[in-house]
Formats: sequence, structure tokens, C-alpha cells
Amino acid sequence: MARQPRIASRRGLFVRFLLRRAVAAVALVFVVASGSLLLAQIAPGDYAAQLGGDPAVRAAERARLGLDRPAAEQYASWLRRSLTLDLGDSFQYRRPVRTLVGERAANTALLAAMALVLATAIGIPCGVVTGSRGGFLASVIRTASLVLLSVPPLITSLVLVTIAVRTGLAPIGGRMSASRLIVPALALALPLAATLERLQSQALRDALHRPNMIAALARGVPKSRVIWRHAWRLSLGPILAIYGVMIGSLFSGSFAVEIVTSWPGLGELMRQALMSRDTYLVAGCAAAGALFLAAGVLIADVLHAAIDPRIDTERTT
Amino acid sequence: MIALLSSFDYDGARQHRGISTPGANRLAACRLLRQRVGPTRKNPRKSDDGDRPSNWPVSSRVARACRARYVCPLFALILAAVSGCRSSELSTRQGAGGPVRGGALVASLRSEPRTFNRYIDNSAAADATAALTQAKLVRINRKTEELEPWLAERWTASPDGRTFTLTLRQGVTFSDGVPFTSADVLFSFAAAYDPKLQSNLGSALRVEGKPLQIAAPDPATIVITLPAPFTPGLRLLDNLPIIPKHQLDPALKAGTFADAWGVTNGPGHMAGLGPFVVSEYVPGQRVTLTRNTRYWRKDASGGALPYLDRVVFEIASGQDAEVQRLESGSIDLLTQADIRPQDYASLKRLRDRGALTLIDVGTGVDPNVLWFNLARTPPARAYLQKSEFRQAISYAVDRDAIVNSVYLGAAVPVYGPVTPGNRIWFSDAAPKYPHDPERARALFAAIGLTDRNGDGMLEDASGAPVRFSILTQGGNIRAQTATVVQEHLRQAGITVDVVALDFPSIAQRWQSRDYDSIYYGFQFSAMDPAMTLDYWLSSGSLHFWNPEQKTPATPWERRIDELMQQQIAAPTLDERRRLFAEVQKIFGENLPGIYFIAPKVSIATNPRVAGAEPALLDPKILWNPDTLNVTDGAAAPHR
Repeated sequence: MARQPRIASRRGLFVRFLLRRAVAAVALVFVVASGSLLLAQIAPGDYAAQLGGDPAVRAAERARLGLDRPAAEQYASWLRRSLTLDLGDSFQYRRPVRTLVGERAANTALLAAMALVLATAIGIPCGVVTGSRGGFLASVIRTASLVLLSVPPLITSLVLVTIAVRTGLAPIGGRMSASRLIVPALALALPLAATLERLQSQALRDALHRPNMIAALARGVPKSRVIWRHAWRLSLGPILAIYGVMIGSLFSGSFAVEIVTSWPGLGELMRQALMSRDTYLVAGCAAAGALFLAAGVLIADVLHAAIDPRIDTERTT
Repeated sequence: MIALLSSFDYDGARQHRGISTPGANRLAACRLLRQRVGPTRKNPRKSDDGDRPSNWPVSSRVARACRARYVCPLFALILAAVSGCRSSELSTRQGAGGPVRGGALVASLRSEPRTFNRYIDNSAAADATAALTQAKLVRINRKTEELEPWLAERWTASPDGRTFTLTLRQGVTFSDGVPFTSADVLFSFAAAYDPKLQSNLGSALRVEGKPLQIAAPDPATIVITLPAPFTPGLRLLDNLPIIPKHQLDPALKAGTFADAWGVTNGPGHMAGLGPFVVSEYVPGQRVTLTRNTRYWRKDASGGALPYLDRVVFEIASGQDAEVQRLESGSIDLLTQADIRPQDYASLKRLRDRGALTLIDVGTGVDPNVLWFNLARTPPARAYLQKSEFRQAISYAVDRDAIVNSVYLGAAVPVYGPVTPGNRIWFSDAAPKYPHDPERARALFAAIGLTDRNGDGMLEDASGAPVRFSILTQGGNIRAQTATVVQEHLRQAGITVDVVALDFPSIAQRWQSRDYDSIYYGFQFSAMDPAMTLDYWLSSGSLHFWNPEQKTPATPWERRIDELMQQQIAAPTLDERRRLFAEVQKIFGENLPGIYFIAPKVSIATNPRVAGAEPALLDPKILWNPDTLNVTDGAAAPHR
């Protein structure tokens, strides 16, 4: 009888925690989108400036797009519409920003998800290997991790693209297919896998030195069972904590990788938007990126809280 | 008629190190054969991509199987001979069996299409799509520069050369089966001139700023009257794709024409008179065009055109991605076709292996130019306005050094906007400025710019150092060229600040006249100077150094205005050429724009592409899409 109210209270706390996170996510998206819009507006030149030499054509286009109004007025108008999730129309594509971003965001999300799965599948087992034993294999993995950590995803993608083009092992561009995902996903996943490997290795080493693990080994529990069943679970806390940050870096890194590998995601769309001063599209792409980041952090926090009951959802922000 | 080259669709760079003539390719094929027989026998494992037919993509299943099974020497020998011969035969002409029907041609598109409505968008994507899906009344043959009948099968001109009566081709239908009539021509002009649309096509279809008068006495006849004498006459019409009245008239009346034929509502619904119709658009990936079964043109033997079943534009983000795909064999050609110096070496290796065809097209006709702001200059630096200053700069810059260091030999020095690539209009009599530092110093001294404090740099009469900035596009060959110019001028005693910006920033600074000088490029859409009056006339909006003058600011600009007006009305080509040569001479003496080099244009295609007749003007390859074909025809399942 005495435990029931406590459980209800904990659930309530968790819901409040989720609500706080959701509000923070909305605020983040709003701030990032607004900042991007304002920065794109104050950058020299506007969309109409690129339309050739005829001043009448440029003036007509400015009037059509509302670019002849003061920046504050344009921003206020965008803000009013964005409250109803209308992010305006792209200047160059003459289509709603929401539709354009939605088409590309799905591809970016697919790429990011695949990269995350690959990074986890490669990084975690490798980290367990290097954290639990020495030897040649562990040395090779550690060296590879250090190399991958020191090389930015952009360079990794260039190398992978070159290999793919020279060998024909994977297509670059063309129709969407699983094989087309290989190069960009690997380019994003390999540095992340190296990060995970390093973290997992250290976390597992720490876990194996805890008294309960030493006791388990002393009781004769097989080492592999101690590592994979007990120590590994104990070591997951710091790994999950970093996942939120990793998802954020995944999206920022994916923009560059998408451009190099011709992946039709948000990266290329945002580049085009920036280069042509398509301000509403810039804001839309930035908002999508911020949304991904906020969602990633939220998912990581929820997972963390679910795995480790000691996480204080009341104070975590 | 002249377009500013946008920042992400042009690098202004080409490379030339060899000419892909049939003879040269035969020699290369023989060398290739010798090279391949040896190593293949000794170590089959080392056999490279050359062991497969050149039209197989590197990533194809068959190619991987061949690699995996260590192709036997005899097979390799046969394939090497086949691929070698292929490269020698297909650079500019068909294979022995004539054009092959069927199959798909895959071309890259450097940027996403914004719309398929060419009337409101002049981007490369819209231009390429219009070239394939629409047709014009007349066409300028990009190879011969001759005016050819197209939808208009013949025409007559009035004695004063201002009225043309065109007879339209009979039996032509749009891709949706609706007959083509003079009403469609009237509608196309109405759309182009619609004041609400402000179509770039309409601004090009004017003579002395006035629109053409169009009449349609019957469904098969069009009468066009020019508002003023204009010798190029019907050449103006090469810019205008004819669009279907039955489909777009409601949109024009409702004021929604700009939204018609968008990327989402266009595919599958656009009726056209071109060889293909847009059938699919996948955002970020591709545009697919399929054969227009009602296309009106026939080939020389009376067979239906086009030869191809499909053309696929694959969207590639930037030139690097395009070249990678060309190298891997996953695309056949680049829509914006010329290749950059830095890509040439790897493409040449593929050419030598028979996996690629490289064609030398000639000297480019769109050179980059350094121009000074002659509309507004700070009084303290009045020397920036002086023609002696610009002449001295032209002498001070070593063009050969730019050719060799920036363009790796793939360019020629030029001294004016008309390059030797423009065979009809180039005048060799225009002034030239070979590298001469002493002469440059003398010219600087003549306007009071000398080294007054012995630091090796020039100062003006007030003792202020001579200094100016060059705005240019960052991250490409223009910025590299500007850096070389900066160094040469430093040696001449002038400090130059190179400011690399993106295209919108440069455009904004130019439009607000807030700059010292700009180094940039313009794309000419026609060789004939009468079609680029906006550049030559002082009232022109693309008279970059001082646009839209109410009255000519200088005597030499007034003289150029007069000569150009005479030139466009002169009755004979010889007379027009004589007048334009004088224009080039005056331009060269006053140098409102300083030209350094013109790149040589090389074009690379997959050897399976046949029937290509590359030209110097865009679209360099796709200007004759109905006779393009692929040698393996329908036997290319991967495409």
C-alpha cells in the first residue's frame, strides 16, 4: 500500500520530464529557425539579386516575394505563419518549404539511422573487445579508432567515394537503393563507431573493476558471461548519455557527407538554399536539423532513464 | 541573351591536352592493345577496367563477375580490341551500322530543377528540359551557326527585311495529340511579353527595346514584323520554345502561369513539340524523359525520331559528383558539358583505356573578365577611371602564366570579349596587350602613378599607395586567376586585395555599384553580337562597367553605340563584320573590361554515346537531342 503512491509519483515525474523536454525541443527549433532566417536575411545579396541584369525583372521578383519589405516585417510575417506550421514557400522552387524539407528530411533520417546502426554494430563490440582484453586484435582496433577519430567525416567520405568510384563496389548517385546507402552511411558511421569503441572500452574497463564484477569472477562465473551479461550492461550508462550528442553531430556531419556523396538529403538542399539566399528554405532546413537534434537528445534521455532508475528526472534538464 | 554565370553551375574552367580524332584514337587503341596483352598474360589478376567493354559500368554485375573470374587472356585481347576500336569510332560519328534505336541516355544535372516552365526560369535545368521537350519556330544550328527551319518549314522576308511570313509545318501535333497551329505561336509570344510574368524570354525578344508584332492570318501562317531594322531577323526566335495554348491559356488568364508546369504538377501533364516528354521527377534524384511518340521530325532515311527511348537527368550536387559518376560509368555525359583542368588527367586515363570519349570543341566563347567600376569611383582614386590604368594592368599581367599555372595549358590568351572560338565575328585586328612590365610602368607613370618613396610600390600624386580590390567568386578557378593577377600587379607596384564572395554577394555589390573591380564570367547564348546588345550598348543592363546610361558617358561608348546600331541594320554580313571589327578595336583601346584568357573546351562522354555534335554554346551536347543515340541501344538493363 505504501509503494503505490510512490510509483504514481515517479510516473508523474517522468511525464513532466518528457513535457519539459518537448518544450525545450520546440524552443530549440524556434530559435535555430529564427536565427537562420535572420542570418540569411542580413547576408549580402538576396534571391532577386541573381536574376540577371534587368532591374525591372529584379524589382518585380522582389515585390512578388515580399523582399522589398523591411527585414523585421518579413520576419514577423514568417513568424505568424510558422505558428500554423506554414514555413512559407521556397523562392526558387515555388513550393511549400514544409513539403520540400519533408521530402529530404526522410532521406537524411534514413541515412542517420543507418549510420547509427552501423556505428553501434561496429563500435560497441569492438569496444568490448578492447576493454576486456589486450593482444594484437585489440591493438589493431585501437589504432584504427584513433585514425578514424582524427579524420573528419568529410575526408572519410571523400576517401570512400574515391574507392567506390575506382573499384565499382558501391554506386555513387543514381537511383535510391540499399547499395547507394553504403558509402554515405559508412562515411558517417566510421568516426562514430570509433567514438563508441573508445567510450565502450573505457566504460567496460571501469565496470570490470567494480567490486561486484570482481566478486562474480571470484565466484567462478565465466569471464565471457561476466563481460557480456553483467559488465557490459553496467557500462551502458555513459554510452547512452553520449548518444544524444552523437545524434546531433550525426546530422551536422551528414550535411557535408550528403553533398560529397550526392545523397539527396537536407544537406544539399540547405547548400542550395544558402547559395541562392532562399531564406525561408534555409530556415526550414535549419528547423528540421534542430528537430532531429532535439528528438535524438530526448530519445537518448528516455533510454537512459529507462535503463538506469537512478537518473533523477526531476532535476535533469 | 547574356547570363551571369551562377555560382554553383559553372567553374569557368576547361582543359585541353589532346584531340580525340579518329586517327589519334586508333593509335591509342593499338597502344592499348599492346599494353593489355602483356600484363594480362603474366598476371591476369592485375587486369584493370580496360578488360571490359567500355560501355559497361564499373559497378555492373557483369563487370564484377569478370574481375572475379580473372578474365582469360584471349577474352581480354578481344575486349581490348573492341573497346579500343569503339573509342576511335564514336567520338563524333555513328558506328558502322548507323544510329541505334532504343535505350536510355543518362546525363547529370548540376542542380535541382525548380520548374519545367522555361518562360519563368532560365536555369540550366529548365533550359535542358526545354531543349528536350519543346521546339522552336526556327533553330540556330550550334555547329554551323546557320538558321534552320524547324516548326516553321519556310519563310519569306519583305524587301526592307522587317517583315517575315512564316509557313508552319503541317500535321504537327503536341505530345498529347492536339494539333499545333499559329494560335500556339501567338500564345507563346503573349506569354513571353506578359508584363506580369516579366519573362526573361520576352526581354530577349525585342529590338531596340520594343516587342515584335505578331499576326496569324491563318492557322498555318505567322507574320512577324520587327519594330526596327535588325539584320539577324528570325535568329531572335531561337530563344522561344513554342508552348501549347490549349494547356496553358487558362493559367495565363488566371495569373497562375508561373505555377504551371512546376516540378510536382508538370511531369506527365506537359504537352510539348519536342522529342521527349517529362514523365517522372524524383526530388533530389532524377528527372526522366520518355520518347514523344508524336514527335514530328524524321531522320534522313525517313525513320522516326528520336532514336532514344529515354533520357534520364540524374541530379548531382556539384561538378565533383558529376565527374565521379562519369568516371564510374554511371552517367553518359554532363549536361553542362565542359570539363575542368583538374579533372582532365583522370579522364584522359579513362580515354586512353577506351572507357571515355574526349572531344576538343575549340576555344571557349565565354571568357572571364576583370572590369572596373566606371559608374562610381572615389575621387581620391580617380586613376581607376583612366583607360591608361587599365591598359597598364593588361600589359602587367602575364597571360601565359595564367594559362600554364591555373589552366594547366588548356587556355589561350585573349584581349577582348570576342574570342577566336567565335570564328565569324572575331577580329584579329583588335589591340593586343602582350606581357610588357616596362610598358606598364610607363603607362602608370603617364597618369602620375610612380614609386615616390622608393619602396618598390606605386603612389599617386598625394603619396597614397595605389591600391584596389577585386571581387570574385571564391573556391574556383576565378579566385585562382585573380590571385595570379594580384601577384603580377604586386610586381608592377600595385597592391590588390582579392575578395572572394559567393554569387549573390557579388551581384548585390555590382547592382549597388559598391566595388572597385570584379572578376567574373558571363555566358553568351549566341555568337552574333546583335544578340548581345545589352552588353555592347551604353544603355544596356549588362554593360557591366557602367550599365543603363541615359546618354553615353564617354565619346568611345557613344561611338560603339553608333556602330552597333549600324551593325545590326547593315545589309550584308561583310559589312556587319567590318563594323563589328571597329567596335572590337575601340573596345580594345579603351578596355572597359580586361580579358586574360579563354579556356579551351573539352567534352567527355561515355563511348556508348553516338550522334553527339558538341558545340561551344550551351547546351553543348543536348542541342540536338533527337539524333543522339547509344550504341548498345536497349541492351543496357542497368539503365
